[in-house]
Amino acid sequence: MAETTANPKISTRNVNVYYGEKKAIDNVSIDVDMDNVTAFIGPSGCGKSTFLRSLNRMNDTIVGARVEGNILLDGQDIYASSMDVVQLRARVGMVFQKPNPFPKSIYDNVAYGPRIHGLAAGKAELDQIVESALTRAGLWGEVKDRLGDSGTALSGGQQQRLCIARAIAVDPEVILMDEPCSALDPIATARIEELIHDLRGKYAIIIVTHNMQQAARVSQRTAFFHLGNLIEFGETSEIFTNPREDRTKDYITGRYG
Amino acid sequence: MSLCAWSNAIVKLMNNATIDPTPTDWNGAVMQKRIAKRYAAERRFKAMGFIAVALSTLFLAFLLFTMLGQGLRGFQRTEVAVEFDFPALTSGATAASITGPNADTTLNSMDIPGIVELAVSQQYGDQGSELLTSAAAANVRQMLADNPQLVTAKQTLWLPAESRLDVAYKRKGEPASEKTVAALEQKDALRSGFNWTFLTGADATDPSAVGIWAAFKGSLMTMAITLLLAFPVGVFAALYLEEYAPKNKLTDMIEVSINNLAAVPSIIFGLLGLAVFLTMFGMPRSSALVGGLTLALMTMPVIVIAGRNAVKSVPPSIREAALGIGASPVQVVFHHVLPLALPGILTGTIIGMARALGETAPLLMIGMRAFIPSPPQGFTDAATALPVQIYLWSDEVNQGFVEKTSAAIIVLLIFLLGMNALAIYLRNRFETRW
Repeated sequence: MAETTANPKISTRNVNVYYGEKKAIDNVSIDVDMDNVTAFIGPSGCGKSTFLRSLNRMNDTIVGARVEGNILLDGQDIYASSMDVVQLRARVGMVFQKPNPFPKSIYDNVAYGPRIHGLAAGKAELDQIVESALTRAGLWGEVKDRLGDSGTALSGGQQQRLCIARAIAVDPEVILMDEPCSALDPIATARIEELIHDLRGKYAIIIVTHNMQQAARVSQRTAFFHLGNLIEFGETSEIFTNPREDRTKDYITGRYG
Repeated sequence: MSLCAWSNAIVKLMNNATIDPTPTDWNGAVMQKRIAKRYAAERRFKAMGFIAVALSTLFLAFLLFTMLGQGLRGFQRTEVAVEFDFPALTSGATAASITGPNADTTLNSMDIPGIVELAVSQQYGDQGSELLTSAAAANVRQMLADNPQLVTAKQTLWLPAESRLDVAYKRKGEPASEKTVAALEQKDALRSGFNWTFLTGADATDPSAVGIWAAFKGSLMTMAITLLLAFPVGVFAALYLEEYAPKNKLTDMIEVSINNLAAVPSIIFGLLGLAVFLTMFGMPRSSALVGGLTLALMTMPVIVIAGRNAVKSVPPSIREAALGIGASPVQVVFHHVLPLALPGILTGTIIGMARALGETAPLLMIGMRAFIPSPPQGFTDAATALPVQIYLWSDEVNQGFVEKTSAAIIVLLIFLLGMNALAIYLRNRFETRW
């Protein structure tokens, strides 16, 4: 069972997440490394988004949400009192289900993170960061002549790539993607998937998806969640061709979901 | 899926068994009647809407018409031509003596009221001095100070007429005044002029000498205090309650209290101001400071409620986006939530401020109904406000105050329009295009 790797970026041990009295995640242990894209799949309400949001403590903002167990980033407990949550979220970036650019210019959208974290010494350096982030997100060619336009004026797919550029502008180590293509058309989806492919290896990427074909296309490792439990975790090719668990097999063959 | 399809099929079978399968007759008489009825309902609704709009337009037109008809006359004054033989009257004052640093002393020593009285009685007989308003001497003094050359020759000066004469010239006045007006008009000694005194002066017992400036300045200062206090406190309260405060019984109670506070009659706030600011803290009576504090108490809940709604309407996805790249909660609030909520907050603020500007009752309670013969120089000086001034003038028996009241209402409305225009400008400036 490939639940542990030699050099994990994020490793979780016996994690439980509660919303009030309700247990949303039950005893999940997973390792995520830099070289692979990890996909979380499972039917609606299985807890995959909840688990993802506990990896950068976005669940902190939800009243009544509580996390038990250990979540380690480079061996450091992210729920320890010594961990600064603002810095954690800069290191563990996030891309959301619905593209949510700020109602500011394209430039300001990308420059916002570096500005608040003081990553650029001057205007020239900031320009440099913005350009390289937009280039990595595959958006530079489309927007380089209109960086002053509002980020919300872009198409849905462009907005989502802008959000990815915004996340990588602060030079994170991990990028969490919460169903990043569910609001996009097939062409825009294909571009995002290409982008994920290009970003692999530079960042540890975790993607939550409803779409099993997508998980098969973009990820090297897949975790299957059901009713808050981690059913199976392993090589993507293994999961899709030769699942060990019946529930996994039923899900990927479309028996339920 | 299969279960679903089955149940649908069963329902279909049952329906076929019980309902007559004749097709709907879309052109039949019953259908046509339904259509006609629907059209009639549409027409009725449109007509009622039109009547409602027409009625409200009519009311507005009526208000503006009467206000302007009455009030515009308040900005005019009747002037009487008076001949001044300055060399004789001033026993040879020179232009040089009333210029330069000593001008004031010389003018003070000249007994201008006496000179005016003499000049008028020479021209119009013993009753002549009753033609002019009490402020006429001050006008003459101002004219001489502005143009010292006047003193070297014979001059005809137009001086403001006394109030009853003013009323008689503009519309129907007392019979005696009407007679005087007719006599003066024959000599071409009456004309209408713009009443600058009304814009620059303060309250007076003589309606032809009153001005609105003192009340305007009082309102301005009161509003400044109100805005300075109610806006920041209201906005911070709204932000804290929405973004930081834990959702529990205590915050629920605070919310209910604030909502109730916004509905408390304004005179209660006046009593509160009287009890707290005047009696307990011993602040100066009738001052713009206390007026502003009292109105701030009244305006704050309105700003808090509007502010909370504006903050609530900022989409949560923006907060998540900012938090997701490591913005601290304060940065989320000040970089994203507040700028997006500001247009809404400003709209609420202007509603609260407009209400405060027109408020009379609480100001009466804290003594701002005093007779204020000169504009307040500071926030602790005795002052009055526009609505209070209107209230006081509308109570006067003298006919001359009628048009002054309307004129003051026009000034108040212009103040209000100016404030609204500023708010709309600010709102459009901060409005984010999505």
